[in-house]
Amino acid sequence: MALNPYIDAFADYLRTGDASGMNDFCVNVEHMKRLSVYRNGFYKGCVDALAANFPMCEKFVGSETFKRIACVYVDHFPPEQGTLVGYGQNFPGFLGDFIAASETQPETVKLSPALVDLARLDYAWLMSLMSADATQTLTAEKISWLVEGGHDFTQAVVKLNASVALLRVNPGTLNQWIGLKTKSGVAESIENSAVEGEFNSISELMREDSVLAVDTVMFWRVQGAVQARSLSAPEIALMATLQGEGGVLERAFDAALAIDPGFEVSDVFSACLQNEILEIDMAKYNYKH
Amino acid sequence: MEWVLLKVHECSSPRRSLIAGAHLGAGLGLKAEHLDDILALPVGEETCTGNSLWFEVHTENYFVAGGPRLNYLRSIRENYDLSFHGVGGSLGYDHQSMPEHIQQVKALINEFQPALISEHAVWSRSGGAYFADLMPLPRTQDALQSLVEGIDRYQSGIGRRILIENPSNYLDFTSEMDEPQFLVEAAQRSGCGLLIDINNLYISSKNTGIDAAQYLSQIPAELVGEIHMAGHDPDPELGQALLIDSHAADIDGPVWALLEHALSLFGHRPVLIERDANIPPLAELMSERQTAQGYLDQCSGHTAVANGFQKEAR
Repeated sequence: MALNPYIDAFADYLRTGDASGMNDFCVNVEHMKRLSVYRNGFYKGCVDALAANFPMCEKFVGSETFKRIACVYVDHFPPEQGTLVGYGQNFPGFLGDFIAASETQPETVKLSPALVDLARLDYAWLMSLMSADATQTLTAEKISWLVEGGHDFTQAVVKLNASVALLRVNPGTLNQWIGLKTKSGVAESIENSAVEGEFNSISELMREDSVLAVDTVMFWRVQGAVQARSLSAPEIALMATLQGEGGVLERAFDAALAIDPGFEVSDVFSACLQNEILEIDMAKYNYKH
Repeated sequence: MEWVLLKVHECSSPRRSLIAGAHLGAGLGLKAEHLDDILALPVGEETCTGNSLWFEVHTENYFVAGGPRLNYLRSIRENYDLSFHGVGGSLGYDHQSMPEHIQQVKALINEFQPALISEHAVWSRSGGAYFADLMPLPRTQDALQSLVEGIDRYQSGIGRRILIENPSNYLDFTSEMDEPQFLVEAAQRSGCGLLIDINNLYISSKNTGIDAAQYLSQIPAELVGEIHMAGHDPDPELGQALLIDSHAADIDGPVWALLEHALSLFGHRPVLIERDANIPPLAELMSERQTAQGYLDQCSGHTAVANGFQKEAR
């Protein structure tokens, strides 16, 4: 017996629930309904992973509603890698479509659009948690070494480490997410539409709407724990300059001061050092620890 | 494959002379809920009597770039041996996307140097989708060839030999051979060893009517590198007519009896207590672990076997 037709029929059953293709491969037709053990296991594994990866979403809508939504997600976006770690990359976008579609169907439970931003916050938190460990953290010791060596450290190229994630959400959503996470109660639902997308460029970051009508959230990991805070406009400018391949520190400071001349650059820079979010390649300075 | 029979109490260098992991006694599946309790355990002295505590993890749960999950595992590894148990390799089918998967497994192996590495004789991937469970293979020549190819790729990719685990069977599929024949043939053609899951075997015997003792008698002892133990539950709808490999309950009496029989056939082998749901406090699992260790100690007066799993993969 060839393997391919068996796998095709089995996979078709797992995806659709139609077991008719398995008739030829099951010895005892009366046992066919036992195939559901495998399909249930597939869905349960995926749904449990989504619940683990989007815990505040699950809290927000309740376990049963979350399961129903998650099963539909599995139908549309089954896992592709041989692991469920990080499964759900498309979940926030899917939720946006799901909510929009449910609004046209009077019989379905109405979901708050805030769910989309909560999902984006959940996933950003997860990505920060699992990101690569920093190996080139900029420290006060390194700055002292640079200064003592006659280098102007403000001219150094510095970048945000891999755990730093910046995203825009509707105002109040971060507090709502933190409220769910700390069990301090659920904030009022937010009726605004979700804010789409992460940052791609400084110009996008500095769009007027992102400063005024949108909350900019930064996640980062320090000492194994993920932190979150809302950024001010000058802070956004500073962080945006150091995203990706990074930038010269002085330019980052100038970008922040251009937004607010009274901005306390030294305070924020000290906080960045304490929270270990900046990286520098010291090899170019022949630095040996 | 060379055999070297040693009296356990005479071993002087167990890591080199016995099977990979022969110094291991009964181990536990590592659960996040227990990490702090485990790190607080007093660390036992290294012995050669096959009673060392060890921990098994699902390899794919550590497919992360960094962060606390890996750091916890590093902390555990400082004091204990590890076993990497893969659940997403899909050895039985769809090997195209295997290289990327294996690359991540190999990176973890390089860092943590697990004593044991295992996977399943199943499929879980097809048409670009990962079905996130252990799907059964038909026991046919075509499926056997596909499984052997998958094991070959996996072993070549990681540079180590692996053990493959017998599945839980809920119904019978069209087959050309029985399961022991299928697994032994796969092992002999690929050079891998076998992980015998006693609970899976018990469930299969109840669900499909096979003779568990007869099954075990068909497995050459030198192929067996590890044993799994777990709890099961009746199906919510079909009851005792269909037992589910839930890993959510205490280990049942008949499964312990089957372990005793397996150890009488295979000799001392690392035994793992698995629990993946309804997870009790660590002390309760340590109690089950102690029961398993008791069975191992019973056979410690007998012999241990060397079967060369430490050798490099072909």
